[in-house]
Amino acid sequence: MLESARSRLKAWIVAGVGTAAAIAVAGVLGAFAARHEPLPALAPAGRIETGQWLLRPLKAYATAEKYTYGALLRPGGKALVLELEMTNRTAKSTKDYFDLLQASQKTVDPATKPFIVLTRDSTMSPELHPGMPERMAYIWQLPDGAAVPASFNLTVISKTYKPRDNLYGLPGWFNPTPIGTMTIPVGAGPDGADMQP
Amino acid sequence: MMMRKSANTILLLVAVAFCYGLQVSKPRYGDLIGPIPARGKLGDTVVGRGFEVHAEKIEFARKLTVDQYGQSKVLTTGGVWAVVTVEFAARAQSTVVSVASWRGPTGLTYDQTERLSFMNGLLPVALDPGLPRKARLIFELRPDEVSNATLLVSEKLVAALDSQAEISLGPVTVAADGLPAGTVDMLDMAQPL
Repeated sequence: MLESARSRLKAWIVAGVGTAAAIAVAGVLGAFAARHEPLPALAPAGRIETGQWLLRPLKAYATAEKYTYGALLRPGGKALVLELEMTNRTAKSTKDYFDLLQASQKTVDPATKPFIVLTRDSTMSPELHPGMPERMAYIWQLPDGAAVPASFNLTVISKTYKPRDNLYGLPGWFNPTPIGTMTIPVGAGPDGADMQP
Repeated sequence: MMMRKSANTILLLVAVAFCYGLQVSKPRYGDLIGPIPARGKLGDTVVGRGFEVHAEKIEFARKLTVDQYGQSKVLTTGGVWAVVTVEFAARAQSTVVSVASWRGPTGLTYDQTERLSFMNGLLPVALDPGLPRKARLIFELRPDEVSNATLLVSEKLVAALDSQAEISLGPVTVAADGLPAGTVDMLDMAQPL
């Protein structure tokens, strides 16, 4: 009886020491640091590189027009428009920009997906071609009755290139990760000047 | 005993080196199941498994005019428009050709533009045997990706283990303004093929 209790205690101590050692090693290797590190603040007037895109925010404004670049808004609603210059940095035409920018939950309902439009001729989410900068507009419908904020927060999300994915062995862009946040002032209307770097 | 141990170690190292060599040198799964090229030049008829394609001419333009719901619309671009007129034919059975891209001399790949999706005579085209059809392939390109390019045409987006026509388009001279020689200001896409 006493013998078995002693061996059980021994087993518990060994297991406890092992677990503590594993957690300590993981901590030293930085497993917990990543969770608490705040995202860097990006300069909104600068150039922002993500894996696939080069971004240059130009201006943001709120609008109550029925159509903004061909995107139909809910009647009586307002929309937040962010115009930016986007350049495809990859070697292939792509439209992998739907998860690129995330407006903060304070401003936009997270369930609202933005319309993404080519401002040149109001084409909805076209493929963008390698090395050809284009002016694009992200249009978020604001919640009904919400006041237009003076500025809003955006999280920029980047993906990583893998020459071979684990399933098909084919190249692709994976693992979306936030790389920074920026605060963009909201102008009065579509005629405001572009931000200069 | 000692002898045997070192012999085993050497054998293990040789096996590791051999496996590493295989991993580095052998084609990847993606290469193995990739499209099967059917090569040709501008003006040739390139024969694939399910379809034939014949690229007739390339035109370059700064702007395109298109008819959209009865209204004329001008499409501008940050680079240059390239319009390739091609003739397709199905071989043994009806098929649909839906993907075309332009691979520039540096390997940048430009898909067919999606800004004219409402227009007739673009991909995807349905083909029936014995009834050849003409089509336009329209690309938005950087001017430095125009010369010595390859046109890639396939039936499906993932042309795994299926034929892909690879048509080399040859050199294009560049004019003083940086655009290809013979670039017109406006090309009317409402013209019949």
